[in-house]
Amino acid sequence: MSLLHYDFVVRALLGALFTGLAAPAVGTYLVQRRLALMGDGIGHISVTGVALGLLTGTSPTFTAVVVAVLGAVLIEVIRSSGRTSGDVALALLFYGGIAGGVLITGLANQSAATLNTYLFGSITTVSAQDVTVTAVLALVVVAIAVGLAPQLFSVAQDPDFARVTGLNVRVYNVLVSVLAAVTVTVAMRTVGLLLVSALMVVPVATSQQVARGFRATLWASMALGTVVSVGGVTVSAYVDVAPGATIVLLALAVFALAYPTGTLLRERRRREAPFDAGPGDDFALEPAHTEVPEDHTHQHGDDCGHPAVPHGDHVDYVHDGHRHAVHGGHYDEH
Amino acid sequence: MSDPLIEIRDGAVELGGRPVLRGIDLTVGPGEVLAVLGANGSGKSTLVRAALGLVPTCRGSAQLYGVPLASFRDWHRVGFVPQRGSSGGGVPASVREVVASGRLSRRGLLRPASKADRAAVDDAIAAVGLSDRAHDAVSTLSGGQQQRVLVARALASGPELIVLDEPMAGVDAPSQEQLAATLRTLVDRGATLVLVLHELGPLADLIGRTVVMRDGRVAYDGPPLAAFADADGHGHEHHPDQDHRPAHVPGMASPLERATRRENRA
Repeated sequence: MSLLHYDFVVRALLGALFTGLAAPAVGTYLVQRRLALMGDGIGHISVTGVALGLLTGTSPTFTAVVVAVLGAVLIEVIRSSGRTSGDVALALLFYGGIAGGVLITGLANQSAATLNTYLFGSITTVSAQDVTVTAVLALVVVAIAVGLAPQLFSVAQDPDFARVTGLNVRVYNVLVSVLAAVTVTVAMRTVGLLLVSALMVVPVATSQQVARGFRATLWASMALGTVVSVGGVTVSAYVDVAPGATIVLLALAVFALAYPTGTLLRERRRREAPFDAGPGDDFALEPAHTEVPEDHTHQHGDDCGHPAVPHGDHVDYVHDGHRHAVHGGHYDEH
Repeated sequence: MSDPLIEIRDGAVELGGRPVLRGIDLTVGPGEVLAVLGANGSGKSTLVRAALGLVPTCRGSAQLYGVPLASFRDWHRVGFVPQRGSSGGGVPASVREVVASGRLSRRGLLRPASKADRAAVDDAIAAVGLSDRAHDAVSTLSGGQQQRVLVARALASGPELIVLDEPMAGVDAPSQEQLAATLRTLVDRGATLVLVLHELGPLADLIGRTVVMRDGRVAYDGPPLAAFADADGHGHEHHPDQDHRPAHVPGMASPLERATRRENRA
């Protein structure tokens, strides 16, 4: 592809690749802990971090990482102390972060345009050094999110139980928060601080439409995040549109496709889930039991179109509110 | 004589500055099957949570297997089944994944599950009769089946002590049977069970000892009384230290009596 001859396009594609991989990996744990908006909250806080960098003349990425990590730990502390619910804690920091950022940017005599490159990303201006930093941080995040998956899953799923297996719940919770903060600042240059949460959450929401397990969701969302990120940058290289926004809209488009599929799948699985049979239930009926009086116009079987649901050692056919089980030459009502 | 599995001496618990448990002395030895009974708010859940270190005690001492809670490390010897509803996340998780998290107390960090780990998880799922649902999302199961998943998770590490908080609450009949059968097998194998219960119900014949909580104190500790499994299906006595009036006979009789008296006068 001729576009790959341009260095800035290659750098943009690499940046997108690593962000797309890391953001959903952390996002999966945030969604599992019902803190889907945490990425957004950290993004807002990072605005203050960027502004501090602009004011003091140091690297805005560096100050953003520091402020984001502090903010993320603060959210976790407020949340776990139980005095304020998670969403209220997030809201407080949202507004503090963005207001602080705007105020300090003004003090630094920087225009809104400078801030904009961080709010909405400027992937086409990333340097080779930026790409290296992004790659290293993203790989560390992915290594932890995948390597500690059993522990992080258990802690998010049921903190009380996790403590009784000897896990230090607080350490793992803070770890997820720090990972989220690092990811947000890594993604700052790709999709921007205001849209980073989308890349953390939308691929997860999409994957869980079709996945039945946690690991499947984790892997699928990472794959999906990578595809939409690289895809979004590619599109914006041909058509003159903002890469960050393109990535997010692409991710939402995939979700819009997956949602009806997921609904159909879930409905089918619910219909076909085995009926529960207790250990003492041998399905034996009184010898004098009555047959199903209803006329069956066809023989129930694999291809009769009625859901065949396992029930203990046999199959019930479900139709018109009945559960019919074959018994000799007739059907029993189960 | 071996160490008691659970030992609380003069334990007290405060939640938010309010004393919730007071003067608790509780010892659970190997092989005991103990039911903790009591009305809502009597502190029975808090009692088992304190014994496991989930809520801190503000005085006295609490030990597991003879080791103070703060330095206890053999968590694989303890299985915990929390109240259903306290768990569950925003991402689907399969039955197998949830049960596998019960094995973490035996697995080191960053070590993939060994053959023995996987076999233990399969066995635990089979023990609660859910092998055919192992790869389904937990959220698609019935409430009773979800409760069985939590029991399987507690069994995955092969614990000698299993603590269950209201395992029969909101559980459908087939799952109650299955759970009772699973617990019976565990007792036959010599496991020690501590069950927080609202009523003895289908487990009545398993229970060897009952502790009745009242207002944050142990009001009764001894063999199950007939009153705990009384015929009206109520299951337990709310005030065992008071006169044994039948529990929950409502005040319906008195207005009728008054009415009768008035008629007699007329």
